[in-house]
Amino acid sequence: MSETQPAALPGDERVSPIRRVINIVGVDNLSLVFALIGIIAVIVWLQPLFLSWQNLMNSLSQSIVIVGLLAIGETVVIVAGMLDISVGSIASVASVTAASAITMGAITMPGDFQIPLPFIQGSMPAAIVVGILTGVALGVINGLIVTKLHVNPIIATLGTLAAFAGLAFLVAPDGKPVGVVTQPDFTWLATGRLFPDAPLPALGGRGWTGVPILFLVFILVAGIYHVIMKYTDFGRAVYAIGGNDVAARLAGMNLTRLKIGMYMLCGATAGLAGVLLTARTTSGNPINGVGFELQAITAVFLGGAATTGGKGTIVGTVLAVLLVGVLNNGMNLLGVGTFYQRVALGVLLIAAVALAQWRQARAERARTRTAAA
Amino acid sequence: MTLTALPEVPAAEPTVGSGVLEIRGVSKAFPNVQALDDVSLDVRPGEVLAFLGENGAGKSTLLKILNGDYQPDVGTLTIDGEELHFANPREARAAGIRVIYQEPEIIPGVDVAENIFAGELPKRGPFIDRRELNRRTAAELAEYGFEKVLPRGRMGDELSSAQRQLVEIMRAVKSKMRILALDEPTSSLTDDEVDRLFALVRRLKADGVAIIYVSHRLHEILQLADRVAILRDGKLVMVSQAEDLTEDEIVRNMVGRDLGEVFDRHPAASDRVVLEVHDIKSDWHKGVSFDIKAGEIVGFAGLIGAGRSELAKVIFGELPMTSGSVSIEGCEVHIGQPSNAIAEGIGFAPEDRKREGLVLVRSVMENTTMAILRRLTRFRIVQRRLERQIAADYVERLNVRTPSLDQEVGKLSGGNQQKVVLARWLAAKPKVLILDEPTRGIDVGAKAEIYRLIDALANEGLAIMLISSELPEVLGMSDRIIVMQGGRITGELPGPGTTEKQVLELAMHEHLKARRAAAEAAAFGGEKE
Repeated sequence: MSETQPAALPGDERVSPIRRVINIVGVDNLSLVFALIGIIAVIVWLQPLFLSWQNLMNSLSQSIVIVGLLAIGETVVIVAGMLDISVGSIASVASVTAASAITMGAITMPGDFQIPLPFIQGSMPAAIVVGILTGVALGVINGLIVTKLHVNPIIATLGTLAAFAGLAFLVAPDGKPVGVVTQPDFTWLATGRLFPDAPLPALGGRGWTGVPILFLVFILVAGIYHVIMKYTDFGRAVYAIGGNDVAARLAGMNLTRLKIGMYMLCGATAGLAGVLLTARTTSGNPINGVGFELQAITAVFLGGAATTGGKGTIVGTVLAVLLVGVLNNGMNLLGVGTFYQRVALGVLLIAAVALAQWRQARAERARTRTAAA
Repeated sequence: MTLTALPEVPAAEPTVGSGVLEIRGVSKAFPNVQALDDVSLDVRPGEVLAFLGENGAGKSTLLKILNGDYQPDVGTLTIDGEELHFANPREARAAGIRVIYQEPEIIPGVDVAENIFAGELPKRGPFIDRRELNRRTAAELAEYGFEKVLPRGRMGDELSSAQRQLVEIMRAVKSKMRILALDEPTSSLTDDEVDRLFALVRRLKADGVAIIYVSHRLHEILQLADRVAILRDGKLVMVSQAEDLTEDEIVRNMVGRDLGEVFDRHPAASDRVVLEVHDIKSDWHKGVSFDIKAGEIVGFAGLIGAGRSELAKVIFGELPMTSGSVSIEGCEVHIGQPSNAIAEGIGFAPEDRKREGLVLVRSVMENTTMAILRRLTRFRIVQRRLERQIAADYVERLNVRTPSLDQEVGKLSGGNQQKVVLARWLAAKPKVLILDEPTRGIDVGAKAEIYRLIDALANEGLAIMLISSELPEVLGMSDRIIVMQGGRITGELPGPGTTEKQVLELAMHEHLKARRAAAEAAAFGGEKE
């Protein structure tokens, strides 16, 4: 019997630096890294401008932020074996509430009833908090529908996708977008740069403009969610529930509370995405988030999450978001039309999932061969 | 290890056209396991041949070879001098061999009639001829007396597992077949259904079909089989006429040693009651009370459907209780969900470890620490070094054979998976441990290890509730045996000195009484109860 070695003990963890990097990225994500490197190599070969600071810091890094944030939250829910299709609509609602909060110091409720919050008028941090809390609250609604009413997550969030899309108009005063041009603090979120004067042009690149705040927010959130998913007991519960929810419950996990928590985390990133959309478009527009959910879900599956749950990582999702961003950006630079871009994205998703399925089937065969008898 | 009988070399004079299936020198190896080792056997038309053996003895592998799921590494299958090579189940069927597994494929969204005739539905033009379909189905079912047990309009997903098997059997019966193999067909049938199935088997036998019958129920086999073939560790250890055999002989040959060596008990029961269950009523139970003391192993015996697994789940908070109470060390506790039970010091290793016990896609370590993870966190962050240390301790203590702590649990063997489940509950340091079929689907070696472990745990003062359908296990391990039937406790027996017969009488007592009463009631004009 080849599996008779005693279990590895905690002492033998001395690993090479390369191995350590691989461990952080995750073995399953290596193919994404290679795909990313490959695509970048091809694009740079065809269009060297891709590597300019102008392109990297202006076009690329900003284009991925909204989808990226939505995808990060979506990862939590998908790894747990569920789905949240309503994230785009949540972002729309949050976009409006955040804009109302900062410009008018009030949040409109359906029926044009207003909750006055005068002390937060003009406060950028408060607007961010309002947006995130909006997302969290709508996440709670999703979670309650899934856990208490036992509605399948796909159906539940398909329903709230429509309902929240309507809600976004109901919370907008008179159903109209709320302009935020008068709030330079707030629009700085979209236009601001960190280290605009760093001596990077000396390194050979020209047109250094600093790192966009938007991109930093994305990286920060990705880091937080990575820690939650990988290092906390909550994150472990996400994987356990996604892998086998009955076993998770019998091991003492409170599925109801945990699942609601997961939808809250997913709603939080959607809310934040809504806030950033407001800043970028300078308007709390009820249609700001429309259509983003599909791109976000696509990225999560592309990042290696299993449709059956229990597998997937934040790192994988971030890599997939980068992959899609680079691909779109590269095709723009190369003058490929948007129609072709969409086709390419679809083909990429299907190819990635087909590859994953093929690999899993192969592993499965190997497993049954060992387990049989 | 002594063999009580040498493998009988089957009579080697195949008359041409006899229709005998000759299995010659068949071996099949999987990584780490020789599943079948040089098996030679004849399957003769018009006889019932029983395959016996413990889990992992090679019965399933042999059935899968007959069904074309596997191909033998060496050896041949021959009928009438013609060598058979099946690349897949379809080719086996074309050759007239039909294997019916415990969980047959059923189309959920269509009714029994369409399920039986799937693939060959009677048509009128492009449409299904419903009337003809119903007529034929009714005729088939009536012919074998299944029309009551298997309503032809019932949808596929509403069928019990017994009914699913009957559908599969009906599918087989109406196609021409020479050999029919049944894999534990009665495990989910009621007595009445078993009678009908036996009638069907005898009829097919009379029609000249060879029947291969796999079962663990020995009395059933001695009733039905003409010959018995016993497999152990992939080898054919005995082939004999059924009437020459006793149950004891069969068991001895299946296990290959005396059961006394397997169950090495050191009784350690104290007087201190740890778990006390008082008058539990639920959808499955009509008032169940018992207690378990520290260091005591109480075995729960009974037939399938007696409510034993459900009792465990009610106590553990997984299923709802309508009334009654549970006390731990004298204090009544309120358990609304499994996490409450764990907090009160109860551990529960469920019956179906793949579906209910383990998260197969996650690692050995994560599965081991799953029930105590919260205790290993500081500011909600899991302390990984501590976690790894604890997991390693229990993996080592339980002798779990795994390449590393990060191995996916799904890739371990059944015995090692079960040890991981046990490791999880030992790590939680419970006062009461509920084990539901702890050795199901595990090979003999791992079984003995698990028995030793359970004994050791009792000696450490745990109160152990041991639910098992394997009577030798209940008899060998328990300090006390509680027998259940139809949601009630029908009796309590001391562990040592009790016989299988005593247990079975209690397990079937009510059932027999009820049947007798029903028969009488019917005789007196249908005034029931």
